Amino acid sequence: MEEIVRAENLTKTFTLSKKQQRIERAEIARRVAVDGLNFSAYRGEIYGLLGPNGAGKTTTLRMLATLIRPDSGDAFLAGHSVVKEAGKVRDVVGFLTSDLKLEGFFTPDYLFDFFGAMHGVDKATLARRKKELFERFGIDKFAEVRVKNLSTGMLQKVSLVISIVHDPEVVIFDEPTNGLDVITAKVVTDFLTELKGMGKSILLSTHIFSLVEKLCDRVGIIIDGKLAYEGMLSEIDDLESRFFGLYRSIKGEEV
Amino acid sequence: MKLGALIKKEFHRFFRDPRLIVTMLLPGIAIFLLYYFVGEAVYAEPEKYEFKVCLVGSSVCTQLIEEAIADGTENTVEWLECDDPEAAKEQVEKGEASALLLFSEGFDTSLDRPSVTIVYDPLSDESAAFHAIASAVLREVGMRYTLAEESVASAEQMGMEVMQSILPFIVVCFIFSACMSVTLESVAGEKERGTLATILVTSVKRSEIALGKVVPLSCVSMLGALSSFLGMAFSMPHLMGVSLGFLGMYGFLSYLMMFLLILGMVPLIVALVSVLSAYARSVKEASAYSAVVMIVIMAVSLLVSFVPMMGAWSAAIPVLNAVVSLQEILSGHMVLWKAFLSVGMNLAYTGALIFLLARMFSSERIMFGK
Repeated sequence: MEEIVRAENLTKTFTLSKKQQRIERAEIARRVAVDGLNFSAYRGEIYGLLGPNGAGKTTTLRMLATLIRPDSGDAFLAGHSVVKEAGKVRDVVGFLTSDLKLEGFFTPDYLFDFFGAMHGVDKATLARRKKELFERFGIDKFAEVRVKNLSTGMLQKVSLVISIVHDPEVVIFDEPTNGLDVITAKVVTDFLTELKGMGKSILLSTHIFSLVEKLCDRVGIIIDGKLAYEGMLSEIDDLESRFFGLYRSIKGEEV
Repeated sequence: MKLGALIKKEFHRFFRDPRLIVTMLLPGIAIFLLYYFVGEAVYAEPEKYEFKVCLVGSSVCTQLIEEAIADGTENTVEWLECDDPEAAKEQVEKGEASALLLFSEGFDTSLDRPSVTIVYDPLSDESAAFHAIASAVLREVGMRYTLAEESVASAEQMGMEVMQSILPFIVVCFIFSACMSVTLESVAGEKERGTLATILVTSVKRSEIALGKVVPLSCVSMLGALSSFLGMAFSMPHLMGVSLGFLGMYGFLSYLMMFLLILGMVPLIVALVSVLSAYARSVKEASAYSAVVMIVIMAVSLLVSFVPMMGAWSAAIPVLNAVVSLQEILSGHMVLWKAFLSVGMNLAYTGALIFLLARMFSSERIMFGK
């Protein structure tokens, strides 16, 4: 299997503000969010990073998407280093998180062209991809409706389609169904399945066991910024039991 | 291509929103109305003046003044030859003469820096109107002589001079608010809503994003600046109570420099507000930062309005340099090199701020820090 994402000793530390220190009753002003993380994802598969809140999933994905820099270590996406070749990494990655929004004033049609231009996609390719993706996901009827007037489900579809405007090799989704109603969540899971069918490599983070079980080929369990387990879903009998067993052994506490 | 798309997006956002366009055009209309009505209130209805002007000494300038007075109006002037300046001044004070024009000996031919003095009564509409026309004509003729203006009454004239001197301050305030209204929304608004982060995920360079913000926002704010400039230019003759027309007051070069000074200030303020907006976590926070900067700039500009003829060092201080140069132009003492230096310095500061903005877009602490 061809390796498409490789994280090597990824480490990221954040400085806590005085206020945050008080809230968390932390004595040290620095917190290690990701602690020497190593994992690999392979071409054409859906890889799930599973972990509780604060485990370092979002920080890891942000480092992979080059939004933040690791303090040490490196990661390679389609062979490009996130530290040394951030621009090239952005060309091969599509990144979607609920933190990234679309300007409500514009239409899906305009935004698709705009983000296509941001990725340097030529006009002919852009027009072809727009037609294909808009038709495939039913956006074509809403192409000229301002984003702020779209339903939540349609808005999510538009965000998803725009994140792959440049036909990236790797698609990264941070908590893809978080905060979504069941209908919109299904739109997302169907979309991910479609992407896999299109041969894309997908990396997603979640704390929802059922999502991993339903979509992922492989899973990496991350606790306290470290990879606690990595394996094929087909090899795991009960993901939930596996997770809590690991959690207890690492944290030494009952849930 | 990427920079072009970024610039186009900002224009698209602006020109499809009528509210933003109105925000831009309002300052000029406000300046014009404010100064127009102040001028109208002070000078009331323009009358047909029959100026009687005491003349001590002689110059061909009197002919030019005569032409300016007659130009497009039914005004006339009668020159009263006088020998005793003190007696003539008394006549002006009593209202028996419109003004006194005092040319030094050999005014037209002397190489020894001749002088001309206008004695007038600003409380009299007629006298003030003559003064406005005569001083404008004398300034136009050239600066090889010394022009002195002496007022026989001061209260009202002081008021008018104050209005004229705070004009640069008013223009700066309007430009600042025009820049603020578009920049806060475009930079802090996009950061707060998470739409800026969506652009940061793409392969576009941070410097292109910074330029893609400052360039179009400056162009849009320029509309506001242009509106302020036109409001200022068209209202000045009304403020002075004469109908000399657009260029009659200061001449083409002065107006051109005023425009360039405003033009240099706009990108600087846009870049400054962009930096504050990028640093802030929300539009509210960015508004608070910008308001502090605006108060500082307003205070300094107002101070400058009452401290005439600042030293050359003022050209190095952003925004203040433009206010000083505008002030000098309006008072008829333009220093050309200083005005050009001010424009250049402000553009250089803009470049530095764009560089800083690009660095800020690259900073995870600023863009993604909680």
